[in-house]
Amino acid sequence: MDGQHDDHRVDANGRSQEEREGPLPKRPRPLLASLSAAEIAEEFSHHDPQVARVNNGSFGCCPASVVSAQIRWQRLFLRQPDEFYFRHLHPSIDRSRALVRQLINAPHLDDVSLVDNATTAAAIVFQNVAWSFMEGVFDRGDAVVMLHYAYGAVKRSIKAYVGRAGGHVVEVALPFPLSSPDEVVAEFRRALELCRADGRRVRLAVIDHVTSMPSVVIPVKELTRICREEGVDQVFVDGAHSIGNVEVDMQDIGADFYASNLHKWLFCPPSVAFLHTRHSSAAGRRLHHPVVSHEYGNGLPLESGWIGNRDYTPQLVVPTALEFAERFEGGLEGIRRRNHERVVEMGRMLAAAWGTQLGCPPEMSCSMIMVGLPSGLGIASEKDAMGLRALLREEFKVEVPIYYNKQSPDEDGEDKIGAAAVTGYARISHQVYNVAEDYYRLRDAINKLVRDGFNCTLLPSKEQR
Amino acid sequence: MAESSSPAAQTLALTSQPSVPGMDPHHQDDCPENGLGRGNGETNGPPAKRSRPTPPLSPITAAEIAEEFSHHDLSVARINNGSFGSCPGSVLSAQAVWQRLFLRQPDAFYFNHLQPGLLRSRAIVKDLINATDIDEVSLVDNATTAAAIVLQHVSWAFSEGVFHKGDAVVMLHYAYGAVKKSIHAYVARAGGHVIEVPLPFPVSSNEEIIREFRKALDLGKANGRRVRLAVIDHVTSMPSVVIPVKELTKICRQEGVDQVFVDAAHAIGNVEVDVQDIDADFYTSNLHKWFFCPPSVAFLHSKKCSSSAPCLHHPVVSQEYGKGLPLESAWIGTRDYSSQLVVPSVIDFVNRFDGGILGIRTRNHDKVVEMGMMLAQAWGTFLGSPPEMCCSMIMVALPGSLGVSSEKDALKLRSLLREEYRVEVPIHYHRPKDIEAGRQNGHSGVTGYVRISYQVYNTVDDYYRLRDAVHKLVNDGFNCGMLPSK
Repeated sequence: MDGQHDDHRVDANGRSQEEREGPLPKRPRPLLASLSAAEIAEEFSHHDPQVARVNNGSFGCCPASVVSAQIRWQRLFLRQPDEFYFRHLHPSIDRSRALVRQLINAPHLDDVSLVDNATTAAAIVFQNVAWSFMEGVFDRGDAVVMLHYAYGAVKRSIKAYVGRAGGHVVEVALPFPLSSPDEVVAEFRRALELCRADGRRVRLAVIDHVTSMPSVVIPVKELTRICREEGVDQVFVDGAHSIGNVEVDMQDIGADFYASNLHKWLFCPPSVAFLHTRHSSAAGRRLHHPVVSHEYGNGLPLESGWIGNRDYTPQLVVPTALEFAERFEGGLEGIRRRNHERVVEMGRMLAAAWGTQLGCPPEMSCSMIMVGLPSGLGIASEKDAMGLRALLREEFKVEVPIYYNKQSPDEDGEDKIGAAAVTGYARISHQVYNVAEDYYRLRDAINKLVRDGFNCTLLPSKEQR
Repeated sequence: MAESSSPAAQTLALTSQPSVPGMDPHHQDDCPENGLGRGNGETNGPPAKRSRPTPPLSPITAAEIAEEFSHHDLSVARINNGSFGSCPGSVLSAQAVWQRLFLRQPDAFYFNHLQPGLLRSRAIVKDLINATDIDEVSLVDNATTAAAIVLQHVSWAFSEGVFHKGDAVVMLHYAYGAVKKSIHAYVARAGGHVIEVPLPFPVSSNEEIIREFRKALDLGKANGRRVRLAVIDHVTSMPSVVIPVKELTKICRQEGVDQVFVDAAHAIGNVEVDVQDIDADFYTSNLHKWFFCPPSVAFLHSKKCSSSAPCLHHPVVSQEYGKGLPLESAWIGTRDYSSQLVVPSVIDFVNRFDGGILGIRTRNHDKVVEMGMMLAQAWGTFLGSPPEMCCSMIMVALPGSLGVSSEKDALKLRSLLREEYRVEVPIHYHRPKDIEAGRQNGHSGVTGYVRISYQVYNTVDDYYRLRDAVHKLVNDGFNCGMLPSK
């Protein structure tokens, strides 16, 4: 990169070389053969080789070739930041947005913004709802509906913006374990019905595409359709985990707002996400980034494209991340499909080895799946779950998030064989760098704990840790 | 993402070593990436008081400085540190260590390293700015974000009836563009009345500023209104002058202004920053402009949330909501926090200079004044403010014959200088209010000013190149009217 001189000549459309190709050297055309196992290992050689990393869902991953591209962008900025700002930043963000638009089947580029993460996207949507309450567009007591398993930060955000501004927050109770999407649909309808009975207008429904903990795939298309039928004003799909994990089609799902992180399952470095707004949504045109810059009022894509001096390079390497995905057989879709097949296979292997069960049927999972942990471990609280997770990390070098399931089968009266005693679940992920050995190590770690008579009451208390 | 209780709730004792052996970015003396590891990189908590660092045995040499900034485009006369700042190679290397630590095992990073690292940085900042309590120090992306935090709070106060529609918020005419828009987006939208303090430019004394400020406060209080917030720049951006913030804040207190927000985006590493002395309610400054951090990191100083001090919130709400701004800002979802983590490495860097950061800013100021005077004399023009009202930046009038007649002209002339002369300098268009008075002052025809910066990597040659570029344009009879329209 150093020493490369820009080609200032312009083409027939008045676009310079940078505008056509970007300021980085063109990557060599991908080889016809897809990446070998050795090449994949090389791309992720910066991962801690000692760790069985079965938690791609939390922080994602970024292959070395994308990291290198990011460094080249960072160097370009540091070299001459004014030039970078006036010449390269805008067109490069637009290039990334254009690729995202294609990927998610969005009809208009103007509807695609890049933001830091889904947490930021949520703040954008909810701040707008708060203004609607403040400015009398919505009435005090109008409802906003969210799933009980909505992400913690999103729940907080709803309370901080919507609750504070006078909205009434309704949580849709969801059973877990789940046996079919119909259970989710039924609970959702019930929540909307409750609002109607209360005489409350539902102004916004916040629906996860893939819940975080416990992780299941929600039938967002159907729920969005139900929202339209039931007169819900706006639908926000929090798809933080979706892109690169499940199919994401804006026109098919039809939500007013849809956000997903590209650093989780789309190989981008931390952090970058997209927020899509439906073209016909009037509310969509009023969205603003909470960090106001001189771009205020020029539309969310431009507002998000400059929120003060920062490192925007994660947004700029989307083309490189997609090129990486294309080097796999079947591209991104192939990756998704194989991840899903493998995680189901590994999930079943673990459930069989532990004498437990999966948290949902395979068709409600994606590249992650919940696997019941042996009841003998005695997970009785979120603290226990965290403690066990830390123990697995430190003693066994296995990284896997653990979910404490508060729901007791006694309460709902169902008699699920084996489910009665399972209070903890491991959420395993499968991404291209994972190998079967990772899951055998998890299997064996748990089996050892059980054999040794381990129980969460044996975990050191907070003061001791 | 972590789904259970936050690690911020865990013990956050400052330790000198992180729990990953061999991976401490600040104490690996054997790692050539981390510079020499001398100086105040200690992480056992901040130094007891703001003592001057002991002079290094052998201060950094010119060659070493050049090496630290060898990633800059060396063909460019880079006299615009004010816009995007700069970051030395040793700090970039430290940043890379943090970034790799995250990529290696992000969960372990999140649970074990992130919060202690941020706490270390905050402790250093607290000491740098003479704050009394680390709970008053939050790290955010930039001053623009800090402004959004303060103004969102004001917005809620209007919306929730704590402030009344029509109550005023006062800001300077030369407030930064983004901040002005933020005031409009949060305050005006919620019913606040926005008053701009016109400021003279060129300016010759603090008294001129104080006079205009008092007038604006009187306006704000007219008709029984309250002035709820005064937004005061410590160092304005364009045109750049140092504002007497301590005095203006005192006037605000006397005049019953509820809260004072000092937007000091340029301040730290540039002018003295003593938050106790200035005594504003909110004070923010970017560490990536004049304090050698990579993009981007800033601090926001504000009193702890209490019955007498408002609860500020980060607009990006995470599970840390309600635990105080420092903790809210320390986790706003998965992101790269490495720029916030390298503050200790920056301390190591500045302490390689004679006099540390004070020595750097003193020399920067002296040099920029010297270079400013050199340019003004060479061009037959003048400075935009007296030397005592500038810092590491100064405004120098451009010859009137260049005919800068709009902001668009200023931007195009700037591009011309960048592309044809490889000189990077921002240009300010200033419409003279009173042409006759201007002519009497010898300011005849001047409508444009350059804002030159001086930072440790600059050499006098940079400013000779600017001088000669402008000379050539003048001699060639150049005029902005000749620039192609877009």
